[in-house]
Formats: sequence, structure tokens, C-alpha cells
Amino acid sequence: MSRARFALALSLLALPAAAQDFSAGSEAASWGLLGESPARFSAEVVDVLCQITGDCSPDCGGGARQLGLLRTADGVLVLPMKNGQPVFSGAVADLAPFCGQTVEVDGLLVGEPEATPAQFYMVQRIRPEGVADFVPADRFTATWAVANPEAAAAGGDWFRADPAVRGFIAREGYLGLGLETDRVFIEDWF
Amino acid sequence: MFRNLTRLTPALALMLMAAGPAPAQDAPRRIEVTGEMIDTWCYFSGVMGGYDAVVGSAHHTCALWCAAGGIPVGLRADDGTVYMVLKLEGDDPLAEPETLLTVASDRLTADGLHYVRDGVNYLVVEAVTANDGIVNLTHETFGPVPGFAIPEPAQ
Repeated sequence: MSRARFALALSLLALPAAAQDFSAGSEAASWGLLGESPARFSAEVVDVLCQITGDCSPDCGGGARQLGLLRTADGVLVLPMKNGQPVFSGAVADLAPFCGQTVEVDGLLVGEPEATPAQFYMVQRIRPEGVADFVPADRFTATWAVANPEAAAAGGDWFRADPAVRGFIAREGYLGLGLETDRVFIEDWF
Repeated sequence: MFRNLTRLTPALALMLMAAGPAPAQDAPRRIEVTGEMIDTWCYFSGVMGGYDAVVGSAHHTCALWCAAGGIPVGLRADDGTVYMVLKLEGDDPLAEPETLLTVASDRLTADGLHYVRDGVNYLVVEAVTANDGIVNLTHETFGPVPGFAIPEPAQ
């Protein structure tokens, strides 16, 4: 047995604990984020609450819960925070159709070690197991438009048109400190 | 002896790999956490600026947008630990848009169950026992973050 084989054996032992490189084959677009690295991997789409606590729902919560990616290679539960759209949108709408299925995802792992021991994920594209083509992870705005038809029909950015957000800003201001604080700040700032 | 060890180690490695990764989830612990409800994507990704700029009043409008957009919210404790909120007083976080908007950027005290999985802290909030509202007045230092969060008034 050579020393090289011994070293290989040791590295295999260390794999679960070490940060692995999932960049092979990734076509993820860079966003210039903290600790960013491209990552393409296979995973099962799971209900995070179910995985963590055992409080499960047959449809992964039907869009009401955060969804996770149980990575095939190492069993790590990766938490996706963001889909591929540049519009303040999470990944639930993109992952929900694949609840309980194995998919391949491509995107970015983000986060610096001084802020978090684990990295989080931005899903940019998805393909179910056995399907040739990836689809972009961009379903949020279409899903929002179905849920908010009147606001969507008015046009413009969803986040400025969203009725719930507009209601909070109308009551508490952009800073959340009340309309008078907003008025004084805006007069000074602009 | 070294020769015997090198003979055994690959077999041991393969056995451990076949067994899969060790369980990375601890049993839940009841905790009380005081901190700020934050938008976790902007906080961890740096997409809108540094850690101090993407919290508090400066980032409040963006925190509303991200919560409404389904981005996970977190409770950032005073020691810097961020707990990903999986449930808030019995509600699934994305069930109703207003569930999380109500507490965005607020400093609150939460009682709940703390889980750790693969390095991520998760919190099932059973009760919010105190809510001081928005007390982190970061707009005084940073202005609105991002700058377009507050539309410029028409001249």
C-alpha cells in the first residue's frame, strides 16, 4: 500500500466535514455576492419544517413553507433563499412543483464563514431527474400575478404593486417608523 | 503496524462513506431569543451592502419586499447568531403575506424550539413575548438601502 493510497483514504474520511466543490458543469451567472461559488448538484426537494421537526405536509406545505434541497452527494440539507430573478423573490414557487422529487439544480452558494458556518443557495435553473433541459428558476412573478390579479394588471414592479406591502408602507412609512418620521427624513434626504 | 493501518483505512473509509454522513441534527432545545427580524438573503449575500446596512430602518422597505417575495426571514440575536424562522406562533411563514410583514425589522423576544441542521440554526417560534418595534435606526447612517427603496419625490 503506497503513501498516496493512504492519503487518499484519509481524504475520503474527511469528505463529509470538508467543504466540497460542486462547481463542475455549472453555468450559474455570477452576482458578485459574499462567498459566492457556483454549484450544480442533485437533490431531493423537501419541506424544511418536515425535515427538521417531523411536522410534515403531503405537498411540502403547498407553498406556505420554506423548501430545502437534500443534496444527494452528502445528505446535507441546503437552504435555498433566492430564485434567479433580480426582484426580491424566494425559491419556493420554483421548487414546489418538485416536492419529494429528485432534481438537478444550478446556482450559487453564498455566505462568508464569519457570518454563517453553512452557506445558502440561489437557484438559477432546475431540471427534474431524467429530463434533458434545465428551466430557469423564474416562476415567482408569474405565481404572484395569479395571486394578485388586480395589482398585476396595473403593471410595474411586483414589489411596488403588492397590496400587502403597499398597505404596510401606507400605514407605517418606508422606514417603518410612522408617516411623520418618513416625511421629515424624505424632506432632508432628497 | 503502519502497513496494517494503511491496509485497513481504505476499507474503513468505504464503510463510513457507504453509511452516509453522520446525522447533523441535534435534538431541539427550548430557548428565548431577543433580536431583530431580518431579511436573510440581503444579510448573508451582501447584495445590498454590508451587514450593518441591511438591517433596521434603512432596510425596512426591502425587508418587506423580501418577506412578501418568500425569502426566508431570520431572527438575528444580539450575539450575531441568525435563526431561520420556520414557524411563527403556529403559522407557516408564507401562508399569509402579512404574517411576516407585521414583524419585519422589529426587535422582539421569541420563545421557541431551536434546531441545528448542517450548520444552520432554525427556530420554531412558539410565542413572541415582547416586541419593541423598530429600534435599529440605521437610516440615520445609511439612508434607504437600497437607495431606490424610497421613491424620489416629484419636483
